Amino acid sequence: MTALMPTTGVSLAGEATRTWKDVDVDPITLRVIGGALNSMAKEMAQVLYRMAYSSLIRESEDLGAGIFDVNGRELCESDSTPMHCGSIPAYIRGINRRLAGTYQPGDVVLHNHPYHGAAHSPDYGVMIPIFWQGEHIGFAGCTGHVSDIGGNFPGLCMDVVDVWAEGKLMDSMKIYEAGVRNDMLIQHILDNVRTPEQNRGDLEALIACARLGERRFTELLEKYGLDTVMSAAERWMDYSEDMLRRRIREIPDGSYEAPIGYLDDDGKNRGIPLKVAVRVQVDGDDVLVDLTGSNDQVPTAFNVPFEGSVLPTAVSAIRTILLDEFLTEEFVPQNDGCFRPVKAYAPEGSIFNPNFPASCFARFSQVNRVFDSINLALAPVLPDRAIAGSSAALCAIAYSGLAADGESYWVYIEINEGSYGGRNGKDGMDCVDSLMANTRNNPIEELELNHAMRAVRYELREEQPAPGEWRGGIGSVRTWLMEVDTFLGSEADNRSDPPAGALGGHDGRSGAFIRNPGTDREEVLFSKVTQEVCKAGDVLEIRLPSGGGFGDPLARDPQAVLDDVEDEYLTAEDARRDYGVVLDTDSWTVDEVATRELRSARAAA
Amino acid sequence: MKRIGVDVGGTFTDLILWDDAGQVVVHKTPSTPADPSVGTMEGIGVLAERAGIPVSDIEMFFHGTTVATNIVLEHNGADVGMITTDGFRDLLHIARKKRPLNYSNHQDLPWQKWQLVRRRNRRTVTERIDATGTVLTPLDEDQVREQVRLLRERGVGAIAVCFLHAYRNPVHEERVRAIIAEEFPEVFVSLSSQVAPQYREYERFSTTALNAFIGPKVSTYVTNLADSARAAGIGEDVHLMTSAGGLATARSACEAPVSLLTSGVIAGLLGGCAIGRASGYPSVITLDVGGTSADVGVAPDGKLRMKHLLDTRIGDYHAMVPMAEVDTIGAGGGSVASVDEGGMFRVGPRSAGAVPGPACYDRGGTEPTSTDAMVLMGWLREDSFLSGNMTVRPELARAAVDTHIAQPLDTSLDRAAMGIFKILAYSMTEAISLHSVRKGYDPRDFSLVAEGGAGPLFAWHIAEQLGIPRVIVPRHPGIASAMGLLTTDLRYEIPTTVWTSSAAPDVDLIATQMKRLEEEARSQLRADGVDDEHISMERSVDCRYMGQGYELRVPAPDGEIDEGWVAATAAAFHDVHGRTYSQRFEDKPVHLVNIRVTGVGAVPHIIIGEIETGGEDAGPAIKATTRALFWREEPSAPEWFETPVYDRALLRAGNRISGPAIVEQFDSTTVIGINQQATVDAVGHIIMERKSA
Repeated sequence: MTALMPTTGVSLAGEATRTWKDVDVDPITLRVIGGALNSMAKEMAQVLYRMAYSSLIRESEDLGAGIFDVNGRELCESDSTPMHCGSIPAYIRGINRRLAGTYQPGDVVLHNHPYHGAAHSPDYGVMIPIFWQGEHIGFAGCTGHVSDIGGNFPGLCMDVVDVWAEGKLMDSMKIYEAGVRNDMLIQHILDNVRTPEQNRGDLEALIACARLGERRFTELLEKYGLDTVMSAAERWMDYSEDMLRRRIREIPDGSYEAPIGYLDDDGKNRGIPLKVAVRVQVDGDDVLVDLTGSNDQVPTAFNVPFEGSVLPTAVSAIRTILLDEFLTEEFVPQNDGCFRPVKAYAPEGSIFNPNFPASCFARFSQVNRVFDSINLALAPVLPDRAIAGSSAALCAIAYSGLAADGESYWVYIEINEGSYGGRNGKDGMDCVDSLMANTRNNPIEELELNHAMRAVRYELREEQPAPGEWRGGIGSVRTWLMEVDTFLGSEADNRSDPPAGALGGHDGRSGAFIRNPGTDREEVLFSKVTQEVCKAGDVLEIRLPSGGGFGDPLARDPQAVLDDVEDEYLTAEDARRDYGVVLDTDSWTVDEVATRELRSARAAA
Repeated sequence: MKRIGVDVGGTFTDLILWDDAGQVVVHKTPSTPADPSVGTMEGIGVLAERAGIPVSDIEMFFHGTTVATNIVLEHNGADVGMITTDGFRDLLHIARKKRPLNYSNHQDLPWQKWQLVRRRNRRTVTERIDATGTVLTPLDEDQVREQVRLLRERGVGAIAVCFLHAYRNPVHEERVRAIIAEEFPEVFVSLSSQVAPQYREYERFSTTALNAFIGPKVSTYVTNLADSARAAGIGEDVHLMTSAGGLATARSACEAPVSLLTSGVIAGLLGGCAIGRASGYPSVITLDVGGTSADVGVAPDGKLRMKHLLDTRIGDYHAMVPMAEVDTIGAGGGSVASVDEGGMFRVGPRSAGAVPGPACYDRGGTEPTSTDAMVLMGWLREDSFLSGNMTVRPELARAAVDTHIAQPLDTSLDRAAMGIFKILAYSMTEAISLHSVRKGYDPRDFSLVAEGGAGPLFAWHIAEQLGIPRVIVPRHPGIASAMGLLTTDLRYEIPTTVWTSSAAPDVDLIATQMKRLEEEARSQLRADGVDDEHISMERSVDCRYMGQGYELRVPAPDGEIDEGWVAATAAAFHDVHGRTYSQRFEDKPVHLVNIRVTGVGAVPHIIIGEIETGGEDAGPAIKATTRALFWREEPSAPEWFETPVYDRALLRAGNRISGPAIVEQFDSTTVIGINQQATVDAVGHIIMERKSA
């Protein structure tokens, strides 16, 4: 990691140490080795989430897995959630600073230090050094979000004093050394968390996943030899870099600024919004994401690890916009090459690059806001690629309590979905994880079988979506009834600054937490709460943000407006007011003449 | 007994007639997508004529169909209405809220873009049942009646009834069915407690909605076909292949059409199992390669494996029904080769299809396909296309490969052609390894059965790559699927959620439920006319370690259900978990989530008869010699070899062939690599193995 340079920023790309001989690889072998690398990463991830215990790993696939060289350069990585893509290189640089030169075959290293590469502390990372003919040549590594790490509060935390309060830190711990398991250390780790059995299962799954990667990569070396495999990997990294640079070159050089965004507060100092300033600078085939002007770091957990979270976000956003997988025929693999053209900068001491030992546990809402702002910054210059504002936050809620035995805790962390902004040619996606998040929900029936919570409602929000030629996506509303006294911790945002409309589309809708809605005890909660108590019988209503509209609503196809009315997204009044569409609700048809007249009168006004 | 198997695919309908003497007659005819039963019945007429028997001599009729699959993939099912629990109108719209692609702003969410039930027709009613099956809020029957009337006015073709926890207590769903019978008796009805009685509401509702979506069309099709067959005097009821690899009667298929979703691809795997058994190699991997896609299946000891819950989908919809593990990938004779703007050599998944087709077909295609590559390599000769009454122009294949591959990569035509083949074969190798090595099975314990028109062109190379010791090329590779239809039994699987721990198992609950499931399965089979002596039961349990999120399917013992039975089931789970994830935790309690009973009604299977015996010398079957391109070791330069071409019809049991060689027959060509030797076995299968060093 080099020092931060305001003019250029830094990237996640690593430095090559060529311990192998560069050889020519024929195009067929190149394709085969590329395919093998991708499928081993995918297979690693599959083993991890199918055998994991933490609902965040198994349902949400809040995990990453891949193969890396000795410096942490990424040869391949699973496509699970974007948040984890590109975070493992930083973990490896973190452990190398302590352990370089000491690795032996059979080592397994556990790491979660957010100031030394971890995405954030609950994301346990497990790295296994890979040896070939006695030489250390790389790593198999994976990460996964465990249920609890023994911090001040169960599951999630917000109002904590520093990085030691957020959880137990493990900095480059060899839990196996030369094949010998350190049971005492593992026991110590598990004795200090609230969910020891779950964490034990997850740790075993992480180890199984990394071992699988080690085995598969070694098999590939046995088949083709180190020189051929590494030369092919180099070529694939160059390929991904080249494909991304080609698309960057198509954007006119310039500096593109997003509207300043505001996060609700830091979870402690209420009513003080936090500024997010995002500028995208395009220079030939290089991109810089500059966060200068964003808020100073905050005294709670609401800060963002720069290496482990800001850099992966910049890469994911640029890659999503320029190499959109739906619009791009060729599969461009995720590897170190994708990192090279994209740099990011955030001033030291800012919310996006805090100084040790500030806590930085709760970072997702901020990075999703950065992703959203990159989209908004580029929308005017890339209208066919970028989109209107999405639910640029993450709504995570930890429900917990003492279990019936009075000794252990139950902890359930739920990642609620968001929605997308409208897109040129398509409405925004409704009720789906957005931007850096891509997780599954848990079946309601499973939760009711496991925990004392009952679902009352899980539907689309009844308020109308953001108007636009292409309307915004619709968020959901979910209501839980607590059957026992339950602790609540949350990390959410997007209460004060709703998803922005683009190119004439309207703004979307903010989210909300409402306790006991529709009763005389109704109470709106902050987006970030710490150890809030819900009594047995309390009801919590969660409203998730709806995305912004794209383009002028008067240009929307009247038939699509009619469909939205028939599907009860809009009323006939909404259609007239926001879209200039007049409907005959007896025959369920568009009154074309009246619509034309109304629309031209509006356009003239 | 005379039996026919009819496998209706997208392009062709394959028919096979088999009698107990081992006589086989086959026929291939274009499918008639508008009404597939037309092509089917006409084909049956031709088949019977060829066999020299009247249609009414046919005693049993087995059928594999893509009708259900196509309705889903083409989004042209019924207008469906839904009655669901108040507060949960949009569960089908939210789904599991994970988008298919990570890096895409412009993707579609298939369940939102092509909704199984439009929001206007998703109607809610007051009712609620909890996780224990207790009624918290009684059903408001007036609301039900009102909503059913509304759906009737809107003219929906089917209604899905989906309530929370209905898998535990179906009382409300059943009451809604009774009300629908009064208000709207002609509509097709699906209950979630019947279609997929297991916990996980989104998957259950989606399965139920799919059943409703395809129900009216599939039952019309099946009924028409059964009526036509009956009118033609065909002996027994039509039997349809299910996704789980069993047969269902027309009556059962009409009730649960969702069980037919992958009907079309399972028969190939079953055919492969029968072919392997006949040659004495029960553990098989099947590779069925056609024009646009390849189906890959793995059957250890000839037994089908069922897919993991997360993998049982059709298109982009979840279907929580048992599906045998067969994977389809976009790789076939029409797969297009290209060099992308970053200089990477790519083959497939895009296909030139039948139109414009491979460049050498001269139907307007200019891009090179794998068929063009194999023409250039000398594996597909002009003559071999001729027996299919087609002319090809090798010079067009040459131009396409040269322009699009050899020149951009600055390589020779030979290497370019070899590359197209190897890269495409690699995608098949990957698919096989995903279902074998990565599921804990060693390919060295299997035989590879080559099926479809193009499977026998690829099999030799794929076996070498994966270390599979043996390739079996059946006598009729093109109709292995149709044959597979004649090799299985009536099978009905019924699940229920029990949710109990091995640490403190509710033995009474398991025993009661198991008994109920077995009775249900038995009465289903009796209603199909199966005698008790031909009925047997198989049990399995979906287990996971307490606290895990996903189950694995475990075979469970017969006999009385007691603590010992639970312990034996838990032990079987440790083994399956160990095989699947290379980890077992014997000290952890096992969570028994669902139990399943499969009622099996035995159907007599076909026996593959022997062929005429000859000596070791296959010389008499040589019809030509050609030049063909092969390579010695990986990776190495391609070389041209003088290669004999054999006529499959002239091969005799006991004949031996040393590679390189090409074997031609009506609808398929087999390649024997330079490192392989082959023997024709007693039943006429070509058994290919690596030459001993």
